[in-house]
Amino acid sequence: MFIAIDFFDAGFWDRVHGGSTHLPIALALTSALLDGVGSLAPSGRFREGFRFSGYFTLLLAALGAVPAVISGLMLTKWDALGSGVTLLHHYFVWPSFGLLIALVVWRSIARHRTSRIGFSIYLIAILTTAVLVSIAGFWGGEMVLNR
Amino acid sequence: MNIEVKALIAALLISGTVVGCFLGTARVVQSNTSKPSGESAAKSSAIKDPKVTAGAKLFALNCAHCHGVDATGDEGPDLHKVTKTDERIKSQILNGVKGEMPAFGKKLTQDDVATLVVFIHSLSGK
Repeated sequence: MFIAIDFFDAGFWDRVHGGSTHLPIALALTSALLDGVGSLAPSGRFREGFRFSGYFTLLLAALGAVPAVISGLMLTKWDALGSGVTLLHHYFVWPSFGLLIALVVWRSIARHRTSRIGFSIYLIAILTTAVLVSIAGFWGGEMVLNR
Repeated sequence: MNIEVKALIAALLISGTVVGCFLGTARVVQSNTSKPSGESAAKSSAIKDPKVTAGAKLFALNCAHCHGVDATGDEGPDLHKVTKTDERIKSQILNGVKGEMPAFGKKLTQDDVATLVVFIHSLSGK
C-alpha cells in the first residue's frame, strides 16, 4: 500500500527533479524551433506569430528551469558540482541555465526592436542553449538509467 | 546606447546574479553543513590500513550521498552493522537493489568495489 511518508523518504527530490526538468528542456527546444522557423517565414505576420510564440515558450522555459534547478540542488544536498556523471550533468546545467535567464532578459527588454544581426546572434544563442540543455538532460538520464 | 546593447548588459548582469546566487547559496549551505567525511568515519575506527583510507575516499564520492557522510545512514541504511558476506556486498554495489539503490557496475571497477568492502567492514571494526 502506498504510504505518503514513504514517498518523501524514498527520493522525494529525485522525483520532483525528474518531473520538473522535462518542461524547461522541451520548451527551450521548442522556443529555438519556433524562432528558427519564424526567421525563415516570408511574411511579417507569420514571423511575428512565430517570434511571439518563441518568446513565450522561452519565458516558460526560464521560469520552469528555476524549480528544476532548486529540486536538483535539494537532491544533491546543495552540491553544485558533484563528481562523475553528476559533474558532467552540472557542466551543462549551469551554462544552459545562465543562458536561459540571459536570453529571456535580453528578449524581454529588446522585444521587437531587434536588428537583423542582433536577432541572428540571439538565434545562435538559443540554439546553443537548446543543445546544452539537451546534453544536460542526456547526462541526467544516464544517472537514472545506470541505476 | 543601442537598446540591444542595453538589453545585453542587463541580461548578463541578471543572469550572472541569478546563477551566482544559486552557486553561492550552494557553497554556503555546503560549508555550513557539518560533514565528517567518510575518511573521518574510517579514522574513528582507528584503522590505518591504506585500503580503508582509499575506501573512505570512494565512499565519500559515491556512497555518502545516500548512506550519510559518516555512513550512519540517511536515505540508505547504516553501514556500521553490515553482516553480509563480501560477495553479497560486492554484488549489491555492482548491481544495485531495484527501487532502493543504484548500480555502480559501470562507474566502479572490481578493485574499487573490493576496496569499498574493506572500508565497510572497517566500520564495524572487523
